[in-house]
Amino acid sequence: MTGIECRSIRVEAGGKRLLDDVSLAFARGTLTGLVGPNGAGKSTLLRVLAGYRRPDAGQVFWQERDLVSWLAAGRGAVGGYLPQQLEPAWNYSVEEIVALGASRSPAPRPVAELLAEHGLVELAGRRWNVLSGGERARTMLAATVAPGPSIILADEPGASLDIRHRLDLVHRLQRLSREAVVVVIMHDLDLAARFCDRIIVMNGGIVAADGEASAVIAGPALEEIFRVRFQRAVLAPDADWVISTTPNGA
Amino acid sequence: MKNILLLLLALLLALAFGAMAGHDWASPARLVSALSGDGSLQSQLLMVWRLPRVLAAALVGALLGLGGAIFQGVFRNPLAEPYLLGSSGGAAIGATVALLVPLGLPVGPALAGLSFLGAWGATWLVLAIAGLHGRPDTAGLLLAGVAIAAMLGALRSFLMLALSDDTVNLQVVLSWTLGGIQTPDMTGLLLLAGLVIAALASSLRLARGLDLLGLGEEQAFAFGLDPQRFIKLAVLVGAGIVAAAVAYGGLVAFVGLIAPHLARWWAGPRHAAMLPASALIGAAIVCACDGIARAVLPPAEVPLGLITALFGGPFFLLLLARRLRA
Repeated sequence: MTGIECRSIRVEAGGKRLLDDVSLAFARGTLTGLVGPNGAGKSTLLRVLAGYRRPDAGQVFWQERDLVSWLAAGRGAVGGYLPQQLEPAWNYSVEEIVALGASRSPAPRPVAELLAEHGLVELAGRRWNVLSGGERARTMLAATVAPGPSIILADEPGASLDIRHRLDLVHRLQRLSREAVVVVIMHDLDLAARFCDRIIVMNGGIVAADGEASAVIAGPALEEIFRVRFQRAVLAPDADWVISTTPNGA
Repeated sequence: MKNILLLLLALLLALAFGAMAGHDWASPARLVSALSGDGSLQSQLLMVWRLPRVLAAALVGALLGLGGAIFQGVFRNPLAEPYLLGSSGGAAIGATVALLVPLGLPVGPALAGLSFLGAWGATWLVLAIAGLHGRPDTAGLLLAGVAIAAMLGALRSFLMLALSDDTVNLQVVLSWTLGGIQTPDMTGLLLLAGLVIAALASSLRLARGLDLLGLGEEQAFAFGLDPQRFIKLAVLVGAGIVAAAVAYGGLVAFVGLIAPHLARWWAGPRHAAMLPASALIGAAIVCACDGIARAVLPPAEVPLGLITALFGGPFFLLLLARRLRA
């Protein structure tokens, strides 16, 4: 397979087991949502999959090759990591950040072309400190996917965005997943249910449920893990979002 | 390109000012006739004594500008500076030991080697204390740097008192402490110029890594950098540059802070443009300050470090206040 695989991953910190014997495989052409309560081990798992965090036990394979045997430059060109938020030390412009993202490819695409592709031409010279949350997210996405990575890992990239921008971002990730392995941490179960092909529910450092998105959403795991009762509703074809109200209309 | 040309022009002006300044001011006409080789005694003095010193000041300034830019890049902090972080202090300890302790080694190589080891060791100590992982916060970084610099200063004074029975060496060590450019001979000047070229070339090789590191360690890793390995390499290069600057110019404060700041403002944050700009600005600042140091209290000479601290101190406080408010 051309995706990612992790085998028997164990990560410990401060005497606590953050991940316990996690084995998963991710294939190309699938948008996978990682969900679970706070402290479930989602971000740790994503960092292990990205290679940033070395597990205490277990192995990670990218395209069937042990991740530790990848050279940093090759790993950077094949993979893309989209953080929850970025705080650069220097006030880079949009163009400079996209250029940095593109520079990890052995044959970088022209920055002007990338800016046009992501609708960032007018923002090219704008500096990071004056960008809105949505503009920052688009910039980071453009930089991340610039070399056409075949592996994209995203840590809740839409968390600070409004609904329009969040939907826009998930649409883009969905499109990217046709050609690449895309694994995204999502707190928004509604978005995960609607856009992901596969949902993995993490809890207490283990995989609590894993399967086709519709099956996981319909199953009992979410109620048990989040300790919340959900109402499942079907979105009308002409709607983008559901706003629920309480019986007295408040 | 236009940006760099303007900086070159500023450096030329600073060089002209440095060449004119002194307890005996030279007019621009005198400078031109000395450069055209008129052979008068005044011209010879200008060419043999003042000009090499002015050039040495510019070259030391370039090293300080580069060292400061690398340190700010590695620490991802605009307030990081070789002097404030104790790296310069480390180099000065190395130089003090080389000059005052009978090691049975030739002075030149011992001075270079020990200055480098001192700068490198002190920088690592600050990095280890302030937090190598994640982005070291400003307060932690500066406090660790201040503590290390104070300890190194005390150790240096102790070594000077305990070991010095040779007044010439003591004088050299003292001038190091206060910062000051010595007039080099031709070999010394050429060696210094060679060091600056090597420093610029090796800094530029770090440019992309420093750019990526500016995005944060995790993002730099994702974009194909091995941050831990890169930081080790960059600290090694930075320490080498600081050691060379200290060996030729002593402890000159704040140039490594101001030059990268102005460079970032002038040329933007990308290091490929910002590093040469920082070198040029550092060169112009030290050249001008060295001129002031020679001219302000004739016939005495004010230590260079004192002049740069008088200008640089308020600049640093302004930046600190702005950062704390943000």
